[in-house]
Amino acid sequence: MAVNWLRTLASRRSVPVFPVLGMQGDELLQQLVLSPDIELVDSPRHASVLLVAGEIPADRFEFARRVHDQLPSPFTTLWFRGEPWSHLENATRIDDLDILPTALVTAYSELMEGRRESSPRILPDKPPNPWEGEGDFGQGGEGMMGGVPYGRPMAMNMENDIRDGLTLDSLTFRLGPFFFAFPPGMSAEITLQGDLVQTWQTQLVPYPQSLDPVFFTARERPVPIAEIELARARHHLHRLYRGLHLAGLEGASLSALRLAQNLSTTSTLDGLRRYLSRSGFFRLAAIKGGELGPEQARRIGGPAARAAGLDEDLRSGDAGYRRLGFSPVCQTGGDTCARWWQVLAEIDQSLHLARQAERDDVTTSELGRIETPRGPWCAKRPEDASALFDELLPGLEWGDALATVASLDVAGLADQPVGTRPSGESRAIRGGTGNDV
Amino acid sequence: MFSELFLPVLMVIFMLIVGGYAVAVLDRLVASALGTSQDGGIWLAPMARGAWLLTQHANATEAPDWRAWRLAPALYLALAAGGLAVVPWSASLVATDLVTSVVLWGSVEALATVVIFLHGWSANSLLALIGGYRYVALGLSYILISMFVLIGVALPAESLQFTQVVASQAELWNVIRQPLGLPLFLIVGLGMTFWGPLNLADSTDLAGGTASEISGPPRLVWDMARAAMLVAFSGVAATAFLGGWLGPWLPGPLWMAIKMLAVLFVLLLLGRLLPRLAPERCVTLMWVVLLPLSFIDLVWAGIGALL
Amino acid sequence: MELFAFLIIMIMVLGAGLLVQWLPMRHQPRPSWAQRAPFLGGGTPDSHAWSRYHIRYYSMTLLLIAFEMEMMFMYPWAVVFVEKGMKAMMEMGMFLAILSVGIVYAWREGVFKWQ
Repeated sequence: MAVNWLRTLASRRSVPVFPVLGMQGDELLQQLVLSPDIELVDSPRHASVLLVAGEIPADRFEFARRVHDQLPSPFTTLWFRGEPWSHLENATRIDDLDILPTALVTAYSELMEGRRESSPRILPDKPPNPWEGEGDFGQGGEGMMGGVPYGRPMAMNMENDIRDGLTLDSLTFRLGPFFFAFPPGMSAEITLQGDLVQTWQTQLVPYPQSLDPVFFTARERPVPIAEIELARARHHLHRLYRGLHLAGLEGASLSALRLAQNLSTTSTLDGLRRYLSRSGFFRLAAIKGGELGPEQARRIGGPAARAAGLDEDLRSGDAGYRRLGFSPVCQTGGDTCARWWQVLAEIDQSLHLARQAERDDVTTSELGRIETPRGPWCAKRPEDASALFDELLPGLEWGDALATVASLDVAGLADQPVGTRPSGESRAIRGGTGNDV
Repeated sequence: MFSELFLPVLMVIFMLIVGGYAVAVLDRLVASALGTSQDGGIWLAPMARGAWLLTQHANATEAPDWRAWRLAPALYLALAAGGLAVVPWSASLVATDLVTSVVLWGSVEALATVVIFLHGWSANSLLALIGGYRYVALGLSYILISMFVLIGVALPAESLQFTQVVASQAELWNVIRQPLGLPLFLIVGLGMTFWGPLNLADSTDLAGGTASEISGPPRLVWDMARAAMLVAFSGVAATAFLGGWLGPWLPGPLWMAIKMLAVLFVLLLLGRLLPRLAPERCVTLMWVVLLPLSFIDLVWAGIGALL
Repeated sequence: MELFAFLIIMIMVLGAGLLVQWLPMRHQPRPSWAQRAPFLGGGTPDSHAWSRYHIRYYSMTLLLIAFEMEMMFMYPWAVVFVEKGMKAMMEMGMFLAILSVGIVYAWREGVFKWQ
């Protein structure tokens, strides 16, 4: 009885949700973050509801199953625009973004009040390895540690450290696709010594990101520059949100999102930029390191390349932009700090251009080539560049490494704009239910 | 016997509960003032969250050090209680009026580092481990600044007892007499409770760090302990720099509560406004800038005490 | 007597902290092995996390020990400072100056960075 009273009180809180992002799942995140009834958490242990957003490709099913089982009871799942796994009986599926917050709140209160059962565990209840040893208490066996104590080997791989050459234990692990500090869908195998990255190998590339439809139409016919520049600013503001959230500036990240939601030609970035400079984001937070060399900058293109000093921007070849007096903004240095300055400068520039273009009613004139926020799109769409991480990140401390990951926009572009279902090519890699592989 | 043993315990437990709740409510107030959207009523939300944590199952990892893992939040809470026990609410109203309370507070700070590290290490999980080890660098750095600043406060009082320290502020509060002291001590407070810019232990880039593997009742005790440590720290700051129970019309304990709330408010505000420092920059800053500043503060305090 | 009261306070609060953890947990079933895997965004570790972790601030801790010893001397020094007057100030100033040389040396050697 006391438990029921506690649960009723518990159902009054905001819903703690752990998001598992599938293809095109990133967009709904921005909606949920601003909702006061929902709290997005970083660790599944802190959540009561698992939200599977978007379609998860088949090669990431295993990771998703692992995360699903890592939530503590009682918990439930909610599926958004994705097919629930068949062996979860009362899994609800929602397809409409507007009713998603209320659906989450309903699921959570039903769970707390006992009207909905806690989701069953999917994976078998077995330790990762049987504990091997020869004696009765597991002693003996081969190697210094007697086999696999408590189900996992002890860390024994000793290599010389990158920075000071000391030979201590390295920890190798795979940081999966559902770690929020990574671009959605990216998974990497990392070796750490202490908290310094020794090696980094991207194993699964991030999902292709979808752009605003205006970039696709701009390749075929002239579009008003105001519209395309606002879409560009919105994209950069979403990236800014992730970076600020990682740096611990909750309030600033939410104001960046709100700015993106209500973006118009009268919006201004000054308040946010002033706050970021004054709060020490550019001097004190973990944003040194991750410098792009000239060849790497050329590979990734876009704002990251301009932050490294490469002043190439397809917009300078467009008559409409030339009329507005456009010239590419550049920084020197090419490290994480420069990239964040560049993002802020480009948002500012886009708002400025949009204001002018709306007043003078200017449209783009060049077709077939467009500068997307991710990079230049001439004949081929910008491709995934996560191999850059394998070169950039070894030798960086953990916080600096993750800040570099947040500042680089490496995901390739999807072939369909936001708001459409995934095309045939990505449908081929999905398929199957959660219980194979 | 009753008043000597039972009453102090009651006082401290009352302060822990009320203080913890006050921190939760104040944090929500600050967050909503700064634009982070909050749910429901700010008065009910901490209770709802506590109830949720009590009904959630406690998490386990594959091979943790069970005793240390379950002890760590309780130990952190006990350390906060130890700090609260030496905070004086008036000249006679102290839970335990130790002659060496400054030394005791120093040991509470040092042991806090140990306990937070233990919490991260005992889970035997990578993200928690990194959080614990990273925090120790900060923990070892702030302890010196804190001690020099508190010794500076003890100089005019000619005693290491907090009641004497407050009594020595009867003409002028230490925040004016030793201007460097309170800002440095606030930074120490942020470090001791790994709050805001100095949150190297439970940070967002480690998916919660030492708290990434805990859920349910242990997480409730850990969060309560953090709030309690904030309260204890603000009590010591109000005692050492803001004149404790001294003040014109209101009774002593009420002044003490007001000053503690003020310090709490500043800490929570700083926690929300500033980004998280990189560990390297943090350690360099503390040793190269803040520690020499605390030396200057000590010399200033010495000269002031002699004049 | 006060120290005894302090000890009682610490023990009782420690007990309360342990009780709040244990009471709701005592009827809960042990989490499954799948739940117990460490959270790595869905990924797996190769080994236990416990290892010979490379602490990069080791040299800073040596400097800290030197200053800790100074702190120990400063506690009684603070109590008798006003009595002893300027002489006490001079002595502690010398102690601090000598140790400050240590800080400058450590800074130049990069001890405060993750070397």
